[in-house]
This record gives sequence, C-alpha cells and structure tokens, in this order.
Amino acid sequence: MNTSIQSEYDVVVVGAGFGGTAAAHYTVRHGLSTLVIERAEKIGEKIISGLTIPIYGFLFGPGFIRDGSPPVERPVDGIINYIVTDIDRGDIDINDTLRVPKPLAPIVAFGYNAYCADFCQWQADEAARVGATIVTGTVVSDLLIEDGIVKGVALEDGTKVESKIVINAEGSQGLLSVKAGIRKKYPPRVISLADTYDYAMKKQDVDRIFGHSIRFLWGWDEQDLAPPLGYGNGLMVWPYGKSLHFMQDQCLAMDDGTVQNLKKRFETYHKNVTGKLPWWSGEVAERVELRAHTWQCFEIFVGLDDELREMPLSTGGMLIIGDAGGLESTELCDGVPSAWFSADIAGRVAQEAIEAGDVSGEFLSRYDREIRNHPIIAWSITAPHRYLLRHAQESHDEALLKKYIHGGWGFGALAHTITPLTLVFLKALRRDPRVMTSWVRMFFRYYRHWHHTFSDNAADPGDRQRHPADRTTGEYIFIFLMWWTDLLLFVFWPFLWLMSYLLVPLVNAMKWTAGFFVALYEPLWVRLLRWLDTGAEKMTKSLTRFAVNAHPDTFGAKRRRES
Amino acid sequence: MRTDERFPGVRWVGEPGRFIRVDAEKCTGCGSCLKVCLAGCFEVVEKTARIRSLEWCMECSACWYICPEDAVEFSWPKGGSGFHTRYG
Repeated sequence: MNTSIQSEYDVVVVGAGFGGTAAAHYTVRHGLSTLVIERAEKIGEKIISGLTIPIYGFLFGPGFIRDGSPPVERPVDGIINYIVTDIDRGDIDINDTLRVPKPLAPIVAFGYNAYCADFCQWQADEAARVGATIVTGTVVSDLLIEDGIVKGVALEDGTKVESKIVINAEGSQGLLSVKAGIRKKYPPRVISLADTYDYAMKKQDVDRIFGHSIRFLWGWDEQDLAPPLGYGNGLMVWPYGKSLHFMQDQCLAMDDGTVQNLKKRFETYHKNVTGKLPWWSGEVAERVELRAHTWQCFEIFVGLDDELREMPLSTGGMLIIGDAGGLESTELCDGVPSAWFSADIAGRVAQEAIEAGDVSGEFLSRYDREIRNHPIIAWSITAPHRYLLRHAQESHDEALLKKYIHGGWGFGALAHTITPLTLVFLKALRRDPRVMTSWVRMFFRYYRHWHHTFSDNAADPGDRQRHPADRTTGEYIFIFLMWWTDLLLFVFWPFLWLMSYLLVPLVNAMKWTAGFFVALYEPLWVRLLRWLDTGAEKMTKSLTRFAVNAHPDTFGAKRRRES
Repeated sequence: MRTDERFPGVRWVGEPGRFIRVDAEKCTGCGSCLKVCLAGCFEVVEKTARIRSLEWCMECSACWYICPEDAVEFSWPKGGSGFHTRYG
C-alpha cells in the first residue's frame, strides 16, 4: 500500500471500514485522487462485531464486491428464532420461517457472515489496487473549515491535507461531526453496547450443529437470559468457517433514564444462556473454546427518533456515510449494506460536485435527499419490531411477543421488506438488467470460494489449475445459459426499463397489501419449507457439488492481484 | 504490545495517551461510567469519577455517551495505538 501522503487530494476519506473503502473505490475508479485515513494500525481491527451482511447489500451495493471474491466466513440461509418463555421448564418455541428454501440454499444466500478485519482489509486492498492511497495508524483530529466549507482534514501530528470533498466514514461515534457542530452526540437510549465472544470450533461441528442458519434468542426479562426485550439482542449466534460468533447487546440507558450495571448484566446473561439453553449446554459447550472477547457501541435506534434521523448527512465540502450518519439497521442490527449504499451515493455526488466546481452545502444536500429517499436505507433504519418488543414485555403478552418476532425476523418480515427491496430491484433493472446474471455468478462464486477456503478435504479439487477447455457439460450449460440470459436481457432492456417505471405504483401499493398476502400464503410457505428440507436434499447436494468442482472462471471469479 | 487473559483475542498496541478524561468540575459522581465500562477503567473517589487505567480500554465510548453531565471527554487514542482484534 502506498503510504506517502500528498498535501492535496480530490477526496479524503476518514475511516477504512466497510463504507470508507467502498467510497474510495468508487471515487478512484471515477478519476478522483483519493486518500483514505485509518486510525487502526491494521485495517478493520478496531471494528466489532462480527455479522451477517444481508444479501441486499451484495445485490445492490458496490459492483467490485459483487464481482469479486471477498473473504466470507459462511453463506447464511436464514434465521432460527428461539423464543424462550420458561427456560427452567424448557418452554422454547422456534420460528424459522425466514429462510431461503432448499435447493436454492445455501448457494442462494440470505446473507454472508464475515470477520470485519478480513473483509475490510480485502475491500481496502481492492481500493488500493485501483489507485487509492491508504494510510493506517493515523488519526484525523480535526476538520479544516473555511467559511463554513470543509476544506480538508488535520492529522494528529499537525499535518494538514486539503481536499475538495471529505467523505466522513468514521463510524458511529462521529466525533469529527460532533466536534464541528454538524451533528449531535447521540443520547444513550439509542446506543447499544455489543458484548461479543468468538469461539473456535471445528468446521465439521459447525456444519453439523448450525449448518448455515444464524440463531437468535428472545425471552422474558425475568429469566435473565437476555437484555430487556426491546433494548437489544439476547443472543445472536453466527456460524463462521471454523468458529462461532456470539453477541449480546443492550442499550446504555433504559427509557426512564436508569443505567444498569452492564458488566454484571452481561456476565449474568452469558452465564445463563450458555448454561441453561439446551442446545448450547448440551451440544455446543464441549466443542468450543473461547478465542476472543470484545465489545463496542453502535447506534441501534437512531432512525426511530425523528430529530436524530433528520440530522444533516452533509455540509459544505463533506459527506457523511454509514454508521457516522446513523444508518445502522434497527432490526438486523447491521450497518454494512447502508454503509455500502451510502458510499456509492457519496462517491457519485462527490464526483458531480467536483465536476460542477460546486462543493457548497446546498449542492451536496442532494446526497441527504438521496439517502433519505433510498427505499432500503429508509426501511432498515426505521423498522420498529425490535423496539416494539418492550411493549410485549410490559403487557407480558406471549402472542404479541411472537407477533413482533415474526414481523421482524420471521416470514412476516416480508410484509414490510418487499416494497423497499422491489423498488431498489426495479432501479437496478433500469440501470442494467444484466446485473441479474452477475447475481447468479456471485452466488456460485461466493459459495465456491467459501468452500475452498475452509475445506479440510485433501482430495478436494480446490483452486487447482484446470485448462479452460477442460470443462464439464454442466459448466458449458451454465455458461451458455448466462450468455443467453444476458443477451435476452440486453434485447429486452427497453421493455424492462419501461416496466420498471410502470410497476412502481403497484410496488408502492404493496406496502398496504403485502401483509394480507404474506399471512394468506404463510401456511403454504411453511409446509413447502419443511418438505424441501428433506425433499430437495439430493438436488441441493448436486448444486453445491457443481459449484465447488467447477472451473473458477465458470462463475467469473476474478483472480486477485496482490496490491 | 499487551495482551491479557481476561480479554482473549485482543492486543493493545503502543502508548495511546490520555484519550479519555473526566472533567472533575462537571462530574457529580453518579457512577454511570463505572456501570457501563466493561473494562473497569473508572473509579469514583470522593464523589468524583476518575480514570483508574485505560490499559484495557476497548474504546467503545460508552462512558462518553452515558455521562449525563458531559463530564467525560472522549477522543481516539494515538494513531495505530490502543486495542486491536482480528476477531471482530
């Protein structure tokens, strides 16, 4: 990586996380000289916690991620919710209705689990490869502001770096924005402290016990298994390649302003959940070894507060992206897709502003409008189900508890996600419908890449060098299908373009009607899921075998060049 | 570089400096910072919070958010210093 800093750049990006490195990739690819400044000695090593990056981030986010082979720890097929109403009596209900059915899963993923350090380093390498300058171990201590316009940044050693645009990707604390008076410090009721444990576990154990599903736990407050309902996550377990990631998190302050002793609370939850939850104490405990214990704060409910949500995302000379702009999702507790979307939008607005020679607050306010009108960001920062769980606790209404869980992390989630997802899908279709084949290639490539990263099987073909002519019939069919689909999509592009506009009113109307149809078809869906779990087993195996044995070029896998 | 068996998987690098401070004038000694700090960085002496040690600080900033009097001043540790983990 190039670590010599010039005194001036078109764009200075503060923070080399998921958003910052994606924004830098965009601006460099569009001809803007770009410097990324990261405070950690090693990229991504100050980011917690691990996560599932939901699939919509990959589908609609930056192209270089979609078309690359990032280091994912495991493709995820969906969520299993454990609803614990009486742990001592063993009353545990399961809701696992939000899943990608077999044989699509696990190749067609619900999301991808990843370690932040590995993933952000990969993104940074990609940005550096196309020409971004990335410096690590350097703190930006201040913004250079002249006449209300951000003109660059000051580093901790006093060095000044001038820029036309600063892209602020400093993470949820947003110290620079707060210091400059652009945004306010968040109140503790919207901030959650994520207590995170990483356990080493053999791959075959992770495969057998967890497969590709993430596990959530919800339970009444008095059981002391989890933080108060509506104030965080009881337990989220992510199966990784050869490890398990475990997070519990709780808001710093309760609604009435009281502050619980979080150190004691977390110790209690962790002890109870690992000691009393049957599948943990019975199957997992003896097979895992604690490898890391870390924690970090993140903004959980910013989007649900009108005043906080409306805080500026730009000012003259600066655009604020990702968690620094409060764009964390309220339900999946994941800020990565919003960081990626906002990175792309910020990159484009920066390019437009620099081309127009106008970096005023007024010009850049188009960025605020685009973020606020982005259907997925708008939905993900305002979805209310997690927050509402506190009402279920107040009334101790089990039906209400299950209803909110179903709406947030079960099949019911479709009722409120289908409109934003389809609107963004239509927009992607309008831009270039051939993106759909790049999704198919991505699913296969990611699965293949993941399999070979963690495969213990010496007989596995892995990334063996095969002559391109040495293809199987299946590979030829796949390539042929993709080629023809691309051609058809190209030919029908004008029609799809028109349809993508005509369908918008209908998709918007689904906001009100989707709930009815989701409820109507749910029994059928649940039966289909159950049937496919066993009925599609053979086909699932055939598909995964095809994915892992195929020549790497079949799925358009890019060979990474070392930066 | 430091590690500690109480916090596996984490290494602390270099000298981070005094990146968290408590303004004794503003502090009322409510102890909220103690309750939210999982690393035990704070203590209350004579009804005023003060930093005991930042040696095991995870830079989570919970103390900064929680202080009702804005008495906790938070900045980032010196570049490249402080906590690092591969397992986040």
